[in-house]
Amino acid sequence: MNDWDTDEGLSADLAEALRARAAVPDRFVRLGKEAFAWHTVDAELAALTIAEPEMAGSRAEGAVLRALTFVASRLTIELEVTDTALVGQIVPPQPGELTLRRRDGSTRAVSVDAVGWFHLRPRPTGRFQLHLRTADGMSVVTEWTEL
Amino acid sequence: MRDDPAVVDLVHRAAGGDQAAWDAIVARYAPLVWGICRRHRLSDMDADDVGANVWLRLVERLGTIKEPAALPGWLATTTRNECLQVLRAKRRHVPVENAEFRDEEGPPSDEWLLTQERHIALRAALESLSDRCRHLLTLLFGEPPTPYIAISDSLGMPVGAIGPSRARCLDALRRSPALTSLRDPAPAVGEGRS
Repeated sequence: MNDWDTDEGLSADLAEALRARAAVPDRFVRLGKEAFAWHTVDAELAALTIAEPEMAGSRAEGAVLRALTFVASRLTIELEVTDTALVGQIVPPQPGELTLRRRDGSTRAVSVDAVGWFHLRPRPTGRFQLHLRTADGMSVVTEWTEL
Repeated sequence: MRDDPAVVDLVHRAAGGDQAAWDAIVARYAPLVWGICRRHRLSDMDADDVGANVWLRLVERLGTIKEPAALPGWLATTTRNECLQVLRAKRRHVPVENAEFRDEEGPPSDEWLLTQERHIALRAALESLSDRCRHLLTLLFGEPPTPYIAISDSLGMPVGAIGPSRARCLDALRRSPALTSLRDPAPAVGEGRS
């Protein structure tokens, strides 16, 4: 442990602390600051609990490449990644509005129908985060996930 | 460790919706979160995901933080868990024989974390100094260090005054309230940390 009582010890520690800060990309800090947007909308965080790659079988939407499940306290968002789309189901089924947010800040909004079903087509790529507002006023945001 | 009053204030203001206070929290702890991602050898993109998720979790629990002194420990644990989740997901996507599952570093050691907390306190102390001292110390000890002659030009300070000023500013840094919680008589091991 360095000694802060000597100028040598204190300045050596300070130099190390400044190096550690300089190593952090501005982008990384900016993403952190942007996370505060979710405080304003008072959204609950839904954690990714299941990510199943390359599931067998097919649906009307085409082969399911991957299935993801995000769990919040009062609802679950189930996603399936197909060749052409991102399809999902809110459980328990309920209508709402869903916004997909990309790393560059761009968004796409879709409706969730009365039985909790939604789809995003064409299929989004890269990193994304979903923000769900249910018709009865719940607000849930998912962790960042890569498709 | 005792709660740094400045952090208590930042957490309180951020919980009340103050973006500037939140920005200051992120700036204060981003090197800690980034450092743990680096220890797990994550790519920049994966580190961004981990960071974004860690901050999301912190946003969510802002209103429930009782002991800001426990924040670095909580951030370290949360970041490591997110790193391991990313690494596990990657392992599922590559053939087993090619999988490199890197957690040989293990959990951040207490010693490593204490060093990070000292760095966090030092950077906060530097920010609390007068503009002149902050500029001088940043030029002297920043990356890369600035030669005396360039410092003299930049601050309008005779080269001969840099040495004495350096000593005065280091002393001001040493006496900064931001370092008080780390300089008081050593607390019992584990106190105030979860």
